[in-house]
Amino acid sequence: MTDTQWLLIAILAVGAYSIRFVGLVCGQIVSQNAGLNKFLGDLPGCLIVALIASSLSDANALTWVAAALALIVAVISNNVVATMGLGFVSMFTLKFIFV
Amino acid sequence: MKYGFICILPLAAGAGAYGFAFGVLAAQLDFPWWGIALMSASVHAGSSQIVAVEQFASEGFIVGAALAGLALNLRYIGIIASLNPILRVIPLPQRLLAIHITGDENWALTFAKRAQDKSVGAPFLMGSGLTMLLVWTISTATGALIGKSIPDLTEYGLGFAFTAAFIAMARAMWRGLQDAMPWIVTFMVTIGLIKFSVDNAFAILMGSISGVALTAFAHHFKGHRKND
Repeated sequence: MTDTQWLLIAILAVGAYSIRFVGLVCGQIVSQNAGLNKFLGDLPGCLIVALIASSLSDANALTWVAAALALIVAVISNNVVATMGLGFVSMFTLKFIFV
Repeated sequence: MKYGFICILPLAAGAGAYGFAFGVLAAQLDFPWWGIALMSASVHAGSSQIVAVEQFASEGFIVGAALAGLALNLRYIGIIASLNPILRVIPLPQRLLAIHITGDENWALTFAKRAQDKSVGAPFLMGSGLTMLLVWTISTATGALIGKSIPDLTEYGLGFAFTAAFIAMARAMWRGLQDAMPWIVTFMVTIGLIKFSVDNAFAILMGSISGVALTAFAHHFKGHRKND
């Protein structure tokens, strides 16, 4: 492995861990403030919705249809594996039919 | 910990397929398999690794490649901060390990399970996180070793399996109508920012902060109305 490859891995490792450490410190600071602490409880839900939004933002119509189907499965089943499996199958089927 | 290990397996299988594809890509860019394994174990950030390696190959500029990769990881400030109620009850060394092995999948699954069972906490997060780290490291190294002879599963819609899993986890985290407005705001702001060419990592962070800020504003407004 070249020196530059070693350096890239080192910078990425230190940088990635530093970001996580900042998150840990931020969480502790926020939790010590009673006014802000209750909003930590709202953060996970909003973050996961943002992750979904980012993965759909540039998606085509088929992906949005598959996402709607996955949402229906999720609402009915409330099961991660079933939604993941049926989501993948619906995406695969839609691609097979329309692409 | 064992419960976390078992529950994360379907998601780990999906991540393994992605890791495999990344290993193939990185090997084509002259990274040795053990170098990829070292990167996966020490960085443990799939999207950051993919972007950084691609940028490094096309631009050859280390700092630019590393920054492009790390920018994608900024959402972890919010993700790790949100874990505070779970992490504050464990000793510091375990906390420092837990933040390294936390990824999108085991973080979201921990909160989804915790919404149904309050006893789910740090052991679940760490069990599922260790599984993800192990699977990611092994799959990327395997991809680099033998990957070229196997088809790219992402072309068959594998990426959508993660979106579907996140939809299911959001469903599990749903607490009722109180979540509707912050979630709609988060969704719209995130998509709007990305449409205006804001980097995905910043859009995720800003979108979720907008949702949380709206909740704060609504609470504040309700409090004022009660006082009136």
